[in-house]
Amino acid sequence: MGVIDLDGVEVRLANRTVLSGLTGELNGQAIGLLGPNGAGKSTLINTLLGFHLPSKGKARVFGLDTHKDRAQIRGSIGYMPENDSFIGNMSGVRFVRYMAELSGLPSGVALERAHEALFYVGLGEVRYRKVNTYSLGMKQLVKLAQALAHGPKLLILDEPTNGLDPVARQRMIQLIKDIRKEGSIRLLISSHLLRDIDETCDEVLILKNGRIASLCNIEEERRSNRSFMELETVGATERFSVSIRGLGCECATYPGGRIKLVIPDNIEARDLYVIASEQGVQIRRMNQRRDSLEDIFLRAMDNDQGRTANGSL
Amino acid sequence: MAVYKRNYSAYTGTVTPVATRVLVLARYAFEEAWSSKITVGLFIFCLLPCLVSLVAIYLADNPIARALVGGRGQEMLAIDARFFLKVLQTQAWLALVMASWIAPRLITLDLADNALPILLSHPISRFGYVFGKFIALFTSLSLITWIPCLLLFVYQSYSSPQPWAASNLQIAVGLLAGSVIWIAFLSVLGLALSSWVKWRAVATGVIFAAVFVPAGVGAIVSAVLRTKWGLLLNVPVMMSNLWQRLLGAPEPINGRLSVPTLGIAVMLLLACLVCVGMLSKRIRAREVVRG
Repeated sequence: MGVIDLDGVEVRLANRTVLSGLTGELNGQAIGLLGPNGAGKSTLINTLLGFHLPSKGKARVFGLDTHKDRAQIRGSIGYMPENDSFIGNMSGVRFVRYMAELSGLPSGVALERAHEALFYVGLGEVRYRKVNTYSLGMKQLVKLAQALAHGPKLLILDEPTNGLDPVARQRMIQLIKDIRKEGSIRLLISSHLLRDIDETCDEVLILKNGRIASLCNIEEERRSNRSFMELETVGATERFSVSIRGLGCECATYPGGRIKLVIPDNIEARDLYVIASEQGVQIRRMNQRRDSLEDIFLRAMDNDQGRTANGSL
Repeated sequence: MAVYKRNYSAYTGTVTPVATRVLVLARYAFEEAWSSKITVGLFIFCLLPCLVSLVAIYLADNPIARALVGGRGQEMLAIDARFFLKVLQTQAWLALVMASWIAPRLITLDLADNALPILLSHPISRFGYVFGKFIALFTSLSLITWIPCLLLFVYQSYSSPQPWAASNLQIAVGLLAGSVIWIAFLSVLGLALSSWVKWRAVATGVIFAAVFVPAGVGAIVSAVLRTKWGLLLNVPVMMSNLWQRLLGAPEPINGRLSVPTLGIAVMLLLACLVCVGMLSKRIRAREVVRG
């Protein structure tokens, strides 16, 4: 049983197919939900929350049907919506307590956990202020606090860094990492910011036009992909490039001593330095990178045939 | 999780039954409604007529007072269905004022801050959400309608020199039923209209308008078509008829203002169904973040 099971899920809204044929099992500790605007990320989240009934197929969260067992699912989910969504004339602590009580915590426990959650997300000092006096970053944090207070099994964060300045964003990312590290909560993070997903998730579901464009384990995907290197050299560049081809690298040379390499896993930068030293070539600059999530995302976007042709599953 | 440790820990304690979550909503809505000093002021104002009625009952059951007011005063001090009808009518219209103040506080604030996606992502249904708000409004209106009315009935039963309660039980039932029908209607109407109006002050006006404007339309219909069925749009007349019959008070001399009970019931039911439809449409539209 996965955290989220999708079995041919199709969702139609206003006679328009928004999600189509979603099939897959998501098991990661932190699952990223990526896709361009209008890809169906929020619709998928709303389907998992039981707001939309799939017109075909089934979606399950922890083995529970998202429509039939929606009350049970909602009890074990913490949801942080994308847009402003709060009760502005309530104090932060009262708002979080209210949400915790709705999730089933007894009143006294809910109050205690509300205080704790607000301190945890860094709003302890402003918890008695009304929510509508909070800054945008604080509002994001209070939404996170209410999603956490009742101790959910799955935390759904819809664009958690939306509208945050770099410092607040970094703080939010760190909080998400801490929650992930704690281990008792699975995370589903929807974002169109690759960097956020890259920093926080270990599995990613990429949607495009309501279909799965890719579903992969980020780490495995990175490992299976090639490593690229750019060099800037001074000296006998041509002879140097012939030598490194001999190591098994694919190599292209450019004017000004620039060389681009695709290096196999068994070759390290040190090997290149050894050859350069032997041939009296100076390596002035070395830039190495593996396939980033951006590459994975762009490949998925390029693939119009979607998941089947992508072959990642 | 602990305040001083500032770390996260899962919750492993007991949870309340799902069915009781509606009461959480109702409790918070009730607290929200009564957090305003205006609500408290209105409540006190709404109880003033009951205080006057209480004094009237005291005087009516006091032999010295009765002797002092003499013959015509005796008629004035008669505690019967007509007396309680006046009490009920007064409280009912005050309930309209109260509902038009409280109802927008319960729904408009949630909608203005787009709170529904977060509220309904918890184990609470759309029906549960509306029902919780309904309970809060209904309870608030109960405090100024059937509860004081029945307390007056109990006081009259206690202070009357003759056995009075048993022979006038229909009044108690009528007070309860008449009040409950009216405040249930007001609650549904108030919530439905509040859900469609963004500003609280406007919502208050719209609730009043929804009760009195159709009465004007009904009067035009009656005059043009020379029929009395236009009265079915006249909520004050319909409710007066209904309360009268429920309490067993005498019919008005002017029979032109009389509407069949079945017609009243059908109209109230239709109005409630329209309100429920409006609420459902509005809340369904706002329950998710579209994206």
